[in-house]
Amino acid sequence: MAKAIKKIHKLELTEEEKKKKDLEEVEDALVKNKEAILESLEVINHMHERGITSLLNGMFGQGDKVLDIMVKAADKPENTNTIKNLLLMLGTLGMINVKQLEPILLKVDAGIANMSKEPDTDEKTGYFDLVRSLKDPEINRAITLILSFLKGMGQETTPMQKNTDGPPPNQTQRKDDSLP
Amino acid sequence: MSFRRFGHKTIKGKGEELLADTITVNINGVDMKTTGNQTVLQLLSDSSIEVPNVCYHPSLGPIETCDTCIVRVNDELVRSCSTELKDGDVIDTVAKEVKDAQVIGMDRILYNHELYCTVCDYNNGSCEVHNTVKEMKINHQSIPFEQKPDPVDNSHPFYRYDPDQCILCGRCVEACQDVQVTETLTIDWERKRPRVIWDNDVPINESSCVSCGHCSTVCPCNAMMEKGMEGEAGYMTGINKETLRPMIEITKNVETGYGSILAISDMESAMRDERIKKTKTVCTYCGVGCSFDVWTKGREILKVDPQVEAPANGISTCVKGKFGWDFVNSEERLTKPLIREGDAFREAEWDEALDLITRKFNEIKEKNGPDAFSFISSSKCTNEESYLMQKLARGVIGTNNLDNCSRYCQTPATMGLFRTVGHGGDAGSIKDIEMSELVIVVGSNTSESHPVLSTRVKRSHKLNGQKLIVADLRKHEMAERSDLFIQPRPGTDIVWLSAVTRYIIDQGWADEGFIKNKVNKYEEYKESLEQYTMDYAAEITGIAKEDLIKTAEMIHEANSVVTLWAMGVTQHLGGSDTSTAISNLLLATGNYGRPGTGAYPLRGHNNVQGASDFGSMPDRMPGYEKITDEKVRKKYEKAWGVPLPEHPGLNNHEMVAGIHEGTVKAMYLKGEEMGIVDSNINYVHEAYEKLDFFVVQDIFLSRTAEFADVVLPASPSLEKDGTFTNTERRFQRLYKVMEPLGDSKPDWQIIMAIANRLGAGWAYEHPGEIMEEAAQLTELFAGVNYERLEGYKSLQWPVAEDGTDTPLLFTDGFPFPDGKAQFWPVKWTEPVQYEEEYDIHVNNGRLLEHFHEGNMTYKSEGISEKTPRTFLEISPELAAERGIKDGTLVRLSSPYGNVKVQCLITDRVSGKEVYLPMNDSGDAAINLLTSSYSDKDTDTPAYKETKAKMEILKGEGINPLPKINHRYGNPQPQIGVQVQKKWDRDDYIFPGDLVKKERKQHG
Repeated sequence: MAKAIKKIHKLELTEEEKKKKDLEEVEDALVKNKEAILESLEVINHMHERGITSLLNGMFGQGDKVLDIMVKAADKPENTNTIKNLLLMLGTLGMINVKQLEPILLKVDAGIANMSKEPDTDEKTGYFDLVRSLKDPEINRAITLILSFLKGMGQETTPMQKNTDGPPPNQTQRKDDSLP
Repeated sequence: MSFRRFGHKTIKGKGEELLADTITVNINGVDMKTTGNQTVLQLLSDSSIEVPNVCYHPSLGPIETCDTCIVRVNDELVRSCSTELKDGDVIDTVAKEVKDAQVIGMDRILYNHELYCTVCDYNNGSCEVHNTVKEMKINHQSIPFEQKPDPVDNSHPFYRYDPDQCILCGRCVEACQDVQVTETLTIDWERKRPRVIWDNDVPINESSCVSCGHCSTVCPCNAMMEKGMEGEAGYMTGINKETLRPMIEITKNVETGYGSILAISDMESAMRDERIKKTKTVCTYCGVGCSFDVWTKGREILKVDPQVEAPANGISTCVKGKFGWDFVNSEERLTKPLIREGDAFREAEWDEALDLITRKFNEIKEKNGPDAFSFISSSKCTNEESYLMQKLARGVIGTNNLDNCSRYCQTPATMGLFRTVGHGGDAGSIKDIEMSELVIVVGSNTSESHPVLSTRVKRSHKLNGQKLIVADLRKHEMAERSDLFIQPRPGTDIVWLSAVTRYIIDQGWADEGFIKNKVNKYEEYKESLEQYTMDYAAEITGIAKEDLIKTAEMIHEANSVVTLWAMGVTQHLGGSDTSTAISNLLLATGNYGRPGTGAYPLRGHNNVQGASDFGSMPDRMPGYEKITDEKVRKKYEKAWGVPLPEHPGLNNHEMVAGIHEGTVKAMYLKGEEMGIVDSNINYVHEAYEKLDFFVVQDIFLSRTAEFADVVLPASPSLEKDGTFTNTERRFQRLYKVMEPLGDSKPDWQIIMAIANRLGAGWAYEHPGEIMEEAAQLTELFAGVNYERLEGYKSLQWPVAEDGTDTPLLFTDGFPFPDGKAQFWPVKWTEPVQYEEEYDIHVNNGRLLEHFHEGNMTYKSEGISEKTPRTFLEISPELAAERGIKDGTLVRLSSPYGNVKVQCLITDRVSGKEVYLPMNDSGDAAINLLTSSYSDKDTDTPAYKETKAKMEILKGEGINPLPKINHRYGNPQPQIGVQVQKKWDRDDYIFPGDLVKKERKQHG
């Protein structure tokens, strides 16, 4: 006669057995990952020597608080502006084609070199001297270069713009034709 | 009603696809040939020409809300998603005005959606907003995002809605209205800032929402999101709310364009793949066979993610499949074997438990012989586990005393089909049900018992003009939606079915050609119908004669008919006969072997079909080959190297009787709560007490397990590999989502361990090897193997050796020697008669949100919050007569036992018929009332023939069904999202028109 029963006596491990089981598990893991663990220990040691571990300890120990302070600090206008400027600068730098820039930089360098030969000259350049010097092939080449730079600078670049403050004029939309 | 698209297909009458003509179109200056019958967007997507689109979803079709897929067709700017392709079309996808119009569409979306991808839980690579911004290389937001007036709706236990993230694409509404067809969601286009609303604008949790999860599945962004994902999916999404807000602000303030922000969020999204695992599995809550990906982080389930390519369900799920998996991590799970010791169990190690089983099995076998054993296999376990269970019973112990729980539900249906058409499974696929012109539902509460399958009927009925006849005692959802609802007296379905068939034949409406070529015994059958006149049927069933005639006319008028049935038919004294009568009717009208036709007994459990297919039956080997056939036995004896018992064994019902008689001494039962779900459970429990040795294998200490000598901890579906076969005869693979909990093990490993201790020497390392063995031995699924079932691939039996499967049966005749089906004359068996004092008819069955006795679904806090316990549905008439209110506690007593349960008054039931859902394992368990009477042909208990008397125990009580249950909701049916209302707004201008206007102004 096997009556229905509900009671279960759990297989309780003693503290000692639990500890032994846990240790076995850890031991297995250690052996399995020997290389990685030894190397990590070295890294940790270096970090410890430089005080990074205690720094991290403080940060993670108070994780939510630290993150909150960080985020709130970062959210101040001057700081967001810094981050933004950095991102913008990075983006712009990334767009410059160094191959194109190289010859120009060489020319600028030559110009500076030439300038430094006569740092503080008392010589005056008159209007006619200027016109005359256009005939000088070196000066003429420089002027042409500067003019083409100015032309490029005057080009329409709004479509390439990354900054979103204030929509570019040609994309401004009337609110009323775009609600839902 | 107009015909509408479903996915890419339009439904056309008898299911033929119109042959599409070849047409020539020009795309961006290049001529190409293609087929008509598709939209411009479909063509472009298939030709890998990228056109942005956000609201379009392959399972929902064009919704036309997002305006991002605009292209130029013959000089007109149009939405490519809804523009049908025509011969000679000139399509431009790259012109500036096209791009400008698309950008306007996207800008309007971004005005409604705050981009903070890196700290968004939906940043998992599939966010349509994110991906479209990236694809369109949008760097600026022309109209800045503006917060909306409504707060997040967090009221529902399983998902939440954030209006600030909602882009108003309407996918959720489309899914709720026209795929799930619960009709809860709409978009209120009238308000200044439109939003999704539930019912007539109530909090989600107080609406008619059935928690099916369609809305969160199809949402393209994080507006409608599963709560399991919140704060869990991302690395930085679990941060305190107060910190998160400034973080979102920083992200937005420092952005120098979306490009760099999206790059960072893409990195974060990629990192998530490291710790979020996505595994395909197959649901275990009914026989529909929904498959989906489960997202897990360790043992934590983040969400269930249905996939378009899932063969049975696509994007659909019900509340249990989508949200009901908490039980796998329940603290009540068994994690160690239990051994009975005095008046308690004690946990033991596997070795000790297996040693004990081996010793006892050997003792009993020696003393009482192999037929003193009984084996109960599970319809929740895999095909491979069913195969091993029968191999253990037959090949190791040496008995055919083996059965599974389809004995409690669908064996009569299988019998009816074997008699008439030769295959014991659904005649076609869910697709056939979907495309049929007329669906007849008999004794099936489809929308609660097979929720996803019912959505296909509800959709076709709502949109495609499909007709629906429902025959049931109770006015459930399908009845409410039907074109004709007939309510026969309990147990009389066979009478009206036969009368309608006779009427059809008499009117000359039978498909004589089909019968002549494909069916035997017509004359004999016609004679057997003699008695079934319309007058006789009206008298016996109580259905009005005109309704019976209407039924016959509707069948006659339909070019294709399917019949769905379930327990309302089978769980009667004449369950097999009524199933046979259904099949006879379909044969007489030629409704077999064509798309959109056939018989569909809806299988109740995920693997009811497979448990029997793989031989867990007392008289059949895998593939339904008879154990009495010597050739069959020889085949297995050769393969297994052991002699097999030749006489059919005992079925479930006979096993219980056998225990009472003292011939059955031991039982090994896995994954079956027989102590609750068998009928007349007092009698079953007494049997358990008499067993010499009882082994139960389960994931919980079930009521049945309480009687066991040894309880073995098994693993549920999420913790193992294997295959299930759904109601469509479809094999689908499930993959292990997580490791077994504690020391629990997959059932196949446990069965193998027991077999091997008894000397079997099995060496299966993976369920795939078990399938390989079974397929080699079984003609019915000769071509089934794991490679052919990889991922979402599936096969419907019969499967030939080369892998050709059979989605639709009987297209080349019937599996009888002459290839013909046969009519099978049947007679009405009067239901069980009760003394006059038992005046209440106790109907019983499932509820949508719980599974059986509920030991899985009650573990879900959300489900339990909305449906905490079972209840007794009482008609308003009966309530008035007896002075019963919502919450009144009553006792129902039958000659076999009694239940105590609280009442709920509803007009789903009428008169003296009450409905008791089976979701209780205590005082309200229905099978305390049911008898041991059973179907005369298969021994399936006559659960539905239960009567009782009722007394009031306590007049006042709390309503057992909380007001947050969906049954109190107030659905708002409409077709789709009603985009016309958006277009009618004063502030709406089609982007195409806007672009053209601007061009005129500037040009």
